[in-house]
Amino acid sequence: MDKYKYLIVGGGAAGVSAAETIRENDKEGRVGIISDEPYILYSRVMLSKPNFFLGKIPFESVWMKKEDWYKTNNIDFLGGKIAKNFDATAKTLTLTDGTTFAYEKLLLATGVNAREWNVPSAKTADGKTKKGIHYLRTLEDGKGIMEQIKTAKRAITVGGGFISFEMADLLKLAGLETTMLLRESYFWEPILDSASAKMLEDALAKAGVKVIKNAEVAEVLGADSLEGVILKDGTKIQCDMVMCGIGVTYPLEWIKASGVAVQKGILANEFLETNLPDVWTAGDVAEYSDILLEERTIMGNWVNAKEQGRTAALNMMGKKTPFKFVSFYTTSGFGMNIAFVGDASAGPDRVIIPRGSPEINSYARIIAVGKELIGATMINRTVEMNAISKLIENNVDISAKLAELADPNFDLKKLLN
Amino acid sequence: MANTKEYIRNKEGSKISKVVVDRDLCIGAASCIAVSGATYELDGENKAIVIDPNAVDDTTLVMSAESCPTKAILLFDKEGKQVFPK
Repeated sequence: MDKYKYLIVGGGAAGVSAAETIRENDKEGRVGIISDEPYILYSRVMLSKPNFFLGKIPFESVWMKKEDWYKTNNIDFLGGKIAKNFDATAKTLTLTDGTTFAYEKLLLATGVNAREWNVPSAKTADGKTKKGIHYLRTLEDGKGIMEQIKTAKRAITVGGGFISFEMADLLKLAGLETTMLLRESYFWEPILDSASAKMLEDALAKAGVKVIKNAEVAEVLGADSLEGVILKDGTKIQCDMVMCGIGVTYPLEWIKASGVAVQKGILANEFLETNLPDVWTAGDVAEYSDILLEERTIMGNWVNAKEQGRTAALNMMGKKTPFKFVSFYTTSGFGMNIAFVGDASAGPDRVIIPRGSPEINSYARIIAVGKELIGATMINRTVEMNAISKLIENNVDISAKLAELADPNFDLKKLLN
Repeated sequence: MANTKEYIRNKEGSKISKVVVDRDLCIGAASCIAVSGATYELDGENKAIVIDPNAVDDTTLVMSAESCPTKAILLFDKEGKQVFPK
């Protein structure tokens, strides 16, 4: 039986960043990465960017590592392999092809899946997703979109989040007639407030994207290939392409069956350790104790995955390190820049400090709990992201600074001194 | 190069003498800021700019460039040779 000192399940940003960190510190220990995709690390982030899709950036730039990087660093890349179960007592992991590996330290960085559209007629009679319906998780998905976008005329994006937003931007730039369907009453509800959402909706409308709110698809038309959709209110929309960006699901069955405690994702403490000895987690799938936000959280983005991979690796090597990082996510499209910092969700115990306004096309909502900040949503104010992250990270007491936080012309860096 | 911004680095003992941000590639993911907030910031167009090219050591600077999901940060040595991405 092959034995790995460090076995990593997941070949994305978190898994590879962990492998890299291990190799920097331990030149000898055997490292293996199991990935269900055949590809070496690529930029999942790039997959939704118009510049990439429209060929402004060469396709090859999607690769984050050179082909020989794994070999040069003595890291075994086991691509196209699927983990089936593991035994935390015997410390072995088995793949669906029957291969079993022994491990000393195991990292679960399996990522998440795109949530499937639950409209029955989205599938053909024999259960396949109809041609023209796209999700965006893998490079394969990206290639499918790139191919169809060349000939498609009319597209619909489903969902009120960043995938739908970035895809709408791309579709519009590619010259397609584009409609966005939101199940919610405004864009990116409930993470944004309706005022922030309106800024984005106005930008979408100005670019010619038709946004339909409170919309649910009742039926998908077409036998094998998509021809259009009928909404629950009877509206019929013709289209040859649908982009679904309706959230994620957590593929946890085998992980749970192996004895790992899960809730929404894989539960972990601040050291990214799971309930099982010598088993860690990192990336989109990790539901960890955030010591800065003082809550259990899941953050699904590239920066967070990379940072968590690094921290998990340090802990796997016995260098006890808590994960301490204010996560952030930014996106842009239609001339608008959107950023989320920390925990941006609103809640009953949270105070929202508005900064700027939709009227000046620059509006942030700074979110506080008690005397400290925990997060922010920002439209066209990404320049202040650094300062807000630092205010959260340093647990700055802001109770006497509310006026400054609300003054859009006040330099937030001054609160850091 | 097309739409790039160059920043000269003259940190003592450093092998890197220039940081370049390709603004066509930059998507404002801000992973460079996660590694070194002292070096970078996002500007009004949601693109990374260098606020202090001398803020950190070479290892951290290389890490910040490596962290970029679009490889928009390029590093050059004194001879003008590109040291990242290799």
